[in-house]
Amino acid sequence: MIKHIPILVQVSLLASAVLFPLLKKNKATKSKLLTVALLAVSAVFLLISLIDVQQNGAFDYNFGNYESFIGIQYSVNAFSTFMAFFVITLALIIMIFSTKDIDHEIPQGSISQYYTLVLILLFSMVGMIYTNDLFNMYVFMEILSLTSCAIISIKSKKENYLAALRYLVLNTIGSLSVLFGIALLYMVSGHLNMSMMSQSISMIWQLYPTNILIATGFMLTGFAIKAAVFPLHIWLPDAHSNAPTPSSALLSSLVVKIYVFAVYKLLFDVLGKDIVVALGIPTVITVFAASGMLFGSIFAIGQKDIKRMLAYSSVAQIGYIFLGLSLMTEAGLAAGLFHVVSHGLMKTALFLSAGSIIYYRNKRDIRDLDGIGIEMPVTMIVFAIAAMGMIGIPGTNGFMSKLYLSFAVLGAGQPLLLAVILLSSYLNAVYYLPIVISAFLKEPKSKNISMHIEVLPLPMLFSLVTIGFLCLLTGFYPTLVMNFITQAVNIFLS
Amino acid sequence: MNNFLIDLANHINYIAAIALFVIGLYTVLTHSNLLKKVIGINIMETSVFLFFVSIGFVNDGSSPIIDLGSLGKIYVNPVPSALILTGIVVAVSITAYSLSLIIRLYQAYGTMDLDEILAMRSEVNND
Repeated sequence: MIKHIPILVQVSLLASAVLFPLLKKNKATKSKLLTVALLAVSAVFLLISLIDVQQNGAFDYNFGNYESFIGIQYSVNAFSTFMAFFVITLALIIMIFSTKDIDHEIPQGSISQYYTLVLILLFSMVGMIYTNDLFNMYVFMEILSLTSCAIISIKSKKENYLAALRYLVLNTIGSLSVLFGIALLYMVSGHLNMSMMSQSISMIWQLYPTNILIATGFMLTGFAIKAAVFPLHIWLPDAHSNAPTPSSALLSSLVVKIYVFAVYKLLFDVLGKDIVVALGIPTVITVFAASGMLFGSIFAIGQKDIKRMLAYSSVAQIGYIFLGLSLMTEAGLAAGLFHVVSHGLMKTALFLSAGSIIYYRNKRDIRDLDGIGIEMPVTMIVFAIAAMGMIGIPGTNGFMSKLYLSFAVLGAGQPLLLAVILLSSYLNAVYYLPIVISAFLKEPKSKNISMHIEVLPLPMLFSLVTIGFLCLLTGFYPTLVMNFITQAVNIFLS
Repeated sequence: MNNFLIDLANHINYIAAIALFVIGLYTVLTHSNLLKKVIGINIMETSVFLFFVSIGFVNDGSSPIIDLGSLGKIYVNPVPSALILTGIVVAVSITAYSLSLIIRLYQAYGTMDLDEILAMRSEVNND
């Protein structure tokens, strides 16, 4: 029974997504409640699966008991179970927030459709984490890109249609590059199953180095477009800032990370560390990651819209993750994965608190936020915690991921990159600190405001407090996350 | 020279696929008409499908239906063709969704030209 949990969770997500349009009365309320309940149950089951893998070890799940060379295979191991649990838990927190916030963002008639889309989105994300088959990954990736565009365009504003179309066009170019790369790898290896592919590639890669290099180039470009690595990030600010707040949080903290996992799988499960180093791929990734860390932050400084600023900040943080990945050491990979988790938590906290400000005061412009900390203390404290994390103040999870990354960089013998990390942290401070300072220390424009807890709906407050607490918890006890990540990295490097 | 031409003729499917891919990418990136962008995406998709199907082809291979009399025959690899069926379904859904977005954009802005839409948006922002 426990062995079937990943697929059961996926099936129940998909089945409920199909069920929502068939509901009759009170569609919106019912689909909200069902989504939250389903995600809570899924999170519990994924936790059981995680504990089971910790105790009894990893295994491969073959669909319909077909042999792995012909059928589809899921690899259920320390990496996939932990990341699936993380994705569903974070999505649960965002969805609890969305139950009240979404009424203000999208037309009443499409609320039930919104939850259908979110569940299909989560279905494909869980699938991409578990899958051990390249073509299966491509199919999940296409479902993911369609639904992630759809949760932007559902807001039915002019800007959203344009942002969604742009995202869709670039996403499709990315998917096609990936498919081309898969075709080239299939040409060389004759398999689509990642483990078997890796076996045959490790035997014959010296015969076809150009072929494998071109394939890796195509696939990395495709994933880089989707994960918004620096020069290919142009779709991200429009898409993430125009989307409804829960969608922004989902897209920024989870969807782009899924493509990071795909890169991990490609480089370490399919090709293997030795071939990647021999082909000279890490250097290329380092250059793009380091430039992204600096330029993403520089672009963010000039923004006036708070959600747009957060979107640009994501570009910089994706740079951190790819920098960790490009070091090709155990510590580097672990730092990258740890930053996936900690950035997911911090960005969710930032987007949700920005969404609460828009919900409560309808203010999006950073210059209007003077004294907002007195009007909305809980929201702004959560914002401040996450902003501190982005800068790297000790006690937050952002500090821990920067610490791990710095040690990894020094361990790999590249002290120049440490300077890039420090400079990028400084730039983060340049645009995050003024918001926190003016929110708490400047006088609000309307004088007669007394300090009290803001009257946000309870689900929104609950999500905000939970996510702020999680940011601090993983900051003080990073080993909670790091234990799992170390095991995951061992899988990639073995 | 002759060898080069024979090589070219033998790999014409790969060359055609790459050429189509580049033509499609060029169309997507340079045309400002949104409909032409979608057509460009479709050309790119076709090129990848052509490539994928043609790597499964075996010279003198028969269709992969196993019966007792056909032992020892060479078969064409059926897997790429089966995969591309899925790919075509994905391509159709992407086209349908992007066309519906273009219809909505046309209703909102009265034009299908990306440059004109961007110009209108920057006017609104400057006011």
